[in-house]
Amino acid sequence: MVLHKYGEKLYSGLVATMTAHLKEISKSIESAQGGSFLEELNRKWAEHNKALQMIRDILMYMDRTFVPSTHKTPVYELGLNLWRDNVIHCSNIQTRLLNTLLELIQKERTGEVINRGLMRNIIKMLMDLSASVYQEDFEKPFLEVSATFYRVESQEFIECCDCGDYLKKAERRLNEEIERVSHYLDLRSEFKITKVVEREMIANHMPRLVHMDNSGLVNMLLDDKYEDLGRMYNLFRRVDNGLSTIRDVMTSHIRETGKQLVTDPERVKDPVEFVQRLLDEKDKYDKIISLAFNNDKTFQNALNSSFEFFINLNPRSPEFISLFVDDKLRKGLKGVSEEDVEVVLDKVMMLFRYLQEKDVFEKYYKQHLAKRLLSGKTVSDDAERSLIVKLKTECGYQFTSKLEGMFTDMKTSQDTIQGFYASHGAELGDGPTLVVQVLTTGSWPTQPSVPCNLPAELSLLCEKFRSYYLGTHTGRRLSWQTNMGTADIKATFSKGQKHELNVSTFQMCVLMLFNNADKLSYREIEQATEIPALELKRCLQSLACVKGKNVLRKEPMSKDIGENDVFLFNDKFTSKFYKVKIGTVVAQKESEPEKQETRQRVEEDRKPQIEAAIVRIMKSRKVLDHNNIIAEVTKQLQSRFLPNPVEIKKRIESLIEREFLERDSADRKLYRYLA
Amino acid sequence: MGVEIGKQNEDEKVAQQALKAGDWHLEGALDIYYSQPQIKTLTDARYLEELYNRYRDPNLDTINADGITNLCNDLQVDHEDIVMLVMSWHMKAATMCEYSKQEFIGGLQALGQVRVDSLEKLRERIPYLRSELKDEQKFRDIYIFAFGWAKEKGQKSLALDTAIGMWQLLFAEKQWPLIDHWCQFLQDRHNKAISRDTWAQLLEFVRTVDPQLSNYDAEGAWPYLIDEFVEYLYENGIFQRG
Repeated sequence: MVLHKYGEKLYSGLVATMTAHLKEISKSIESAQGGSFLEELNRKWAEHNKALQMIRDILMYMDRTFVPSTHKTPVYELGLNLWRDNVIHCSNIQTRLLNTLLELIQKERTGEVINRGLMRNIIKMLMDLSASVYQEDFEKPFLEVSATFYRVESQEFIECCDCGDYLKKAERRLNEEIERVSHYLDLRSEFKITKVVEREMIANHMPRLVHMDNSGLVNMLLDDKYEDLGRMYNLFRRVDNGLSTIRDVMTSHIRETGKQLVTDPERVKDPVEFVQRLLDEKDKYDKIISLAFNNDKTFQNALNSSFEFFINLNPRSPEFISLFVDDKLRKGLKGVSEEDVEVVLDKVMMLFRYLQEKDVFEKYYKQHLAKRLLSGKTVSDDAERSLIVKLKTECGYQFTSKLEGMFTDMKTSQDTIQGFYASHGAELGDGPTLVVQVLTTGSWPTQPSVPCNLPAELSLLCEKFRSYYLGTHTGRRLSWQTNMGTADIKATFSKGQKHELNVSTFQMCVLMLFNNADKLSYREIEQATEIPALELKRCLQSLACVKGKNVLRKEPMSKDIGENDVFLFNDKFTSKFYKVKIGTVVAQKESEPEKQETRQRVEEDRKPQIEAAIVRIMKSRKVLDHNNIIAEVTKQLQSRFLPNPVEIKKRIESLIEREFLERDSADRKLYRYLA
Repeated sequence: MGVEIGKQNEDEKVAQQALKAGDWHLEGALDIYYSQPQIKTLTDARYLEELYNRYRDPNLDTINADGITNLCNDLQVDHEDIVMLVMSWHMKAATMCEYSKQEFIGGLQALGQVRVDSLEKLRERIPYLRSELKDEQKFRDIYIFAFGWAKEKGQKSLALDTAIGMWQLLFAEKQWPLIDHWCQFLQDRHNKAISRDTWAQLLEFVRTVDPQLSNYDAEGAWPYLIDEFVEYLYENGIFQRG
């Protein structure tokens, strides 16, 4: 027909015929009852499709020639459109179709099983008709209805579930919807429907969930509920601000508990416990972040900043961390494998990094290290050195050069003493054995040297050593630090039992006096030994007033040492152990006045560092205003301590006074470097 | 000014004449010179020197404390009167209680357009000197000068008592309402000398910060002592914070 120029007639004939036919079909579908509505629709659609294919084939010539040249809709497409217009959009079918589909989905959501294959075919039909048919006639209403459904359901759940259960349900619903889409909806709907679920079930209820009493985020953290936390993380990351909500609540919780931890007066009594608790807390949260929060870096950062915040709330943290290390290196790490030692030291370094006042730590660490080295009480030389290497890596050579000097002195002293005995061995044979550590001033923490009167046989020995040493090291000066030494002496008591007493040098001087007298007054002891009063009292207290260590008896038996007291050798002393330790050289938490003194020294040390920083900065910038100087100085010094802006100002004034800087004549906030 | 120059030439002329008359012998020339009436005006220098000699120490070539006291008596001015500071400023005196010959004579010569060559003329100048304190710029220069002048020779800083005395003097003129609090604060809290920078900055503080402290900027790079002073004022309830 086309060939004979009857294309138009053919085409319109096709349209008319098909339309009429479809109207018939439509009626038959309309009349389908209940459940068979969809099946009928489905069947008719399949037939129509087949028919369309055949028609297309038959009318192929027209499709290829007449249709393009007249810009008419191609046959197949025409067939689809007619189906759409006459069947799908037929007033009795359109609404009914939508409602049927939605009802089925609702049924499925409430747990019933539906015919998914049928659903798939119908939906596919809509998709085939066109994207807009799918969207207008199904998807949009579907999303709206789903939103309402989930809004209602989430409200119900949240009233009756705890947080963990709610999240389980939300997760389940989400998975359901995803599965639904994969089975019978357009894949592109997945994104849209999940957005609906996320919004209705998660985003709208986030604050309430997170803060839920007894089951919210904080409770999960406290109880290490890894699964629940992981679920929360995975669900919340889907919505805006989800993760930041979790992170913020976690952060303020950690800060709060941390703050309580460090300011609790009970906790602060035992420094080693204090630090252990901090490490435990860190471990706990590391585990949570790794198991439940996907090792999320932003969470790790929040954890770090929280720790940094509260550790520095307690000004004694640096001291306590050093005491913790001291405890470990003295005994805690005894018998521990090398790898485990490294683990502990790395954890200590992690806490060290959080400290703002690293210079305070340095001061205490040095003091404690000195005591450990001098009393020979370190569990492992390797562990000590390993920690120094870590500190060097973290803070640079300057931080540790003096510490290393201390180790060197110890080694050198061993060699020196060997040399001494090698050359003098014969004449010294029977006398007391001397062990000397020669400390280089400047490497060791400064202590005022407190001389005392040594027993005769010892002072002779010491003099011999002094001349030996100065013989090989001319130009040096030696001063005996009798307040830092120890002595092992053998004592025999009334029943003949012998004990070896490990005492401080001062205590040794006192005890040796009792070789020549049974009874001595405080004043006599003071005169004979020349030990300063405060030290002497402390020393006598540990010799006479401590149960189990009272090798001296005191009259009167009071707790404190009075200047009129009298002391006697306690020959009734007993102890289970052969070796009795009475010395007082262990590192302990400082007393209040000692703490003040250390703090004072630290502040004094900071002044030249601040000045040096100011001069460095001004030398390079030449002219700079006040606020910027403060900012730059703070930045330069932050690896050691946080300088006080008031102190920086004072240093600037001092530098102006000494004519290193001047104020600009026009702008009083500007400073200039004077070459 | 034109008159001055004219006079100068006149003087030269007269001097030449006198020398000529004296056959170029100086002493003779001087006698002739001084006997001639036109030359009266040239005798400032000599009068100034006489004035100087009246007050100088018999053993040293300076005017010291006693001499200054006498000068003040003659001028009918209290020796702690601030006008003496102004005078010292004109003299560029290095230190208080002492005027070198150069400072004294140089200072008197600098005291304005009418030559001051006698005690009466100096006495007449005093109201003018006082008035100079009212000039903002001059007051500042005098204030800054006062630090170097009042401190001990060879010291970098100004002793606290001296500083307080000077401040009371200067700020009575300037009428700073907080001067008494400032002095009280220094005596209570600060027992050290005053640095040059603090001295200078206090004037800035007085000039720019209002006496209610409403525009005091804590970040304003004020010397630490001034920050402490403000703290002191708040602590003692003299002002309310905020």
